[in-house]
Amino acid sequence: MDLQGLPMTQNTHAPGIYKRNPPIAGEAEAIEAAKNGDAEAFSKLYALHKRRVYTLCLRMLGNVSEAEDMTQEAFLHLFRKIGSFRGESAFSTWLHRLTVNLVLMHLRKKGLNLVSLEETINPSEDDAPKRDFGSRDLQLTGSVDRVALERAVASLPPGYRMVFVLHDVEGFEHNEIATMLECSTGNSKSQLHKARLKLRELLRQPEQPAQPTGFNEVAV
Amino acid sequence: MTDSKLPDFDTMTPADFEQYLPEFFATGDGHVSQDPRLQTFLRNNPDCAALVRDLEAIADQARSLFAPVEPSDTVWNNIQSKLKQNSAADEDDLPIPRTV
Repeated sequence: MDLQGLPMTQNTHAPGIYKRNPPIAGEAEAIEAAKNGDAEAFSKLYALHKRRVYTLCLRMLGNVSEAEDMTQEAFLHLFRKIGSFRGESAFSTWLHRLTVNLVLMHLRKKGLNLVSLEETINPSEDDAPKRDFGSRDLQLTGSVDRVALERAVASLPPGYRMVFVLHDVEGFEHNEIATMLECSTGNSKSQLHKARLKLRELLRQPEQPAQPTGFNEVAV
Repeated sequence: MTDSKLPDFDTMTPADFEQYLPEFFATGDGHVSQDPRLQTFLRNNPDCAALVRDLEAIADQARSLFAPVEPSDTVWNNIQSKLKQNSAADEDDLPIPRTV
């Protein structure tokens, strides 16, 4: 399946994701029934996967309202396309990729130029990480506060956040990210590095009042 | 980037290290601090070693980020509503999932 040129393959090149997506009891039966139009089976699939899909959307978009809209779109798309699921990968892996591709399409429509991931177009000076890698910070070394990191991720520029979430949080490989974002693997590596440098910089700043980002709206 | 493009690890400067760091992270298991080729350099450049530890800590913590969150009931209500609309428009009347 292709979503406007975005590959929606059922390959098995995401071992990290696959490991985190073991089969769920009753899921296979629900999938087969949903393919035949069983409404209750579709309801079950929604119940089984709504949290995973929504959380993924929230991570990628950093905004509750948009994440809910994209969750809705993902399941509507699933309802229409479930017949094309052939079971070559875990269903959750397939749904995960479908969701990622929908979110990327959404961001493109919204005007986030994913081409800006290319290094020829740098983020604004304010967004770019400072190149002060020399100074040591014993507060950060060896331990990172999870809540502070979540806040910092939410405040990353969209391009940085996308690559960081896809690689470090979701476990995609650079070649997979490059395919999804239509950039080179070198750019994916570079953007990930810049994202981590930016996060380091943000985490080293004295704690500031919460930014009005999507993640702050969520009570986790 | 291939090994042939990597710097000489014995003469590498901190600037070289910074330039190649994304590649160092991308190879192996991503734990640059454990890379045997870099041990001498990191020992001699504690600030670079600190940077590596920080970035590794961020990457490690990222794996546990964002506990799953429940979408609001509105999402499912909207899905049902959309399916109902589509179903009414389609000749092959698809069944409407009931509320979860």
